[in-house]
Amino acid sequence: MLLTAEIVPGLVAQGASARAHVDVPPKFKVGDKVRARNLNPTSHTRLPGYVRGREGVIEFDYGVFEFPDTHARVFEGVPEKPQHCYRVRFTAREVWGPTAHPVDTLRVDLFDDYLDPA
Amino acid sequence: MPTHADRKEPEAALRVRALESLLAEKGLIDPKAMDAMVDLYENRIGPRNGARVVAKAWVDPAYRQRLLDDATAAIRELGFSGLQGEDMVVVENTDSVHNMIVCTLCSCYPWPTLGLPPVWYKSAPYRARVVADPRGVLHEFGVDVPDDKEVRVWDTTAELRYLVLPQRPAGTEHMDEAQLAALVTRDSMIGTGVVRTNGAPA
Repeated sequence: MLLTAEIVPGLVAQGASARAHVDVPPKFKVGDKVRARNLNPTSHTRLPGYVRGREGVIEFDYGVFEFPDTHARVFEGVPEKPQHCYRVRFTAREVWGPTAHPVDTLRVDLFDDYLDPA
Repeated sequence: MPTHADRKEPEAALRVRALESLLAEKGLIDPKAMDAMVDLYENRIGPRNGARVVAKAWVDPAYRQRLLDDATAAIRELGFSGLQGEDMVVVENTDSVHNMIVCTLCSCYPWPTLGLPPVWYKSAPYRARVVADPRGVLHEFGVDVPDDKEVRVWDTTAELRYLVLPQRPAGTEHMDEAQLAALVTRDSMIGTGVVRTNGAPA
């Protein structure tokens, strides 16, 4: 399809949500303690290195989204794997150790496949 | 003598031109579509949109609540929607929490309300340091957060896009929505700034 100037305003205003409208059960619920897995794939991932192995708490379930790690590889024939994405709360001290500020925290949006129960 | 930094810009421009002509030759884009896209993000979509959202939330408590409950829908009420704002979350600064936004993996940013991200937002130093030393970064932006106030850093690496609802400054009770919107800065909606009244000390 040729992208023309006439298409642009509608395309920009519409966007393309990565929400997946499929029924996938969540692995975790709000309040659950979780630990980010120590995964280091050579392909695309959205799991930031600094939370790998760190413990956090599920604060919110955003619902089901396409999983970026597999979505980035559909052209290689990797199947999609839509799953829940959560807002996970980490304390700065859990991530950075005792020199971090005692009241500061981080929120990181993490998918089911990045997490284990803690 | 040209430095490495001097050469960087022309190289990037050359690469963009090569990509654009390839896309056109392959029949994927009409060059006029590129012009339309650039015009939208240079002239129409930017942080003034976000400022309108913030000002409305300050004067309209019901709107503020809708914004915190379902930011995507509340922002769409003002006509802002689309690319990189499909699934929005608004986080509110309070007397006890200062929020700030980063994408440590790339440059994810809420385009419909803030436009395209500033260069520093995409830079490796900001992305690396804001999660590890948010107070140090804030200090460099001229913001010092008291020790008993939580600094909450949101790493927007998945599909949600975030906008900070800054605190309304004191002494603005007489101002209307348009006057308030004029006070709201881009950085205050990223969380690297706070909203100040004109003439107030920085």
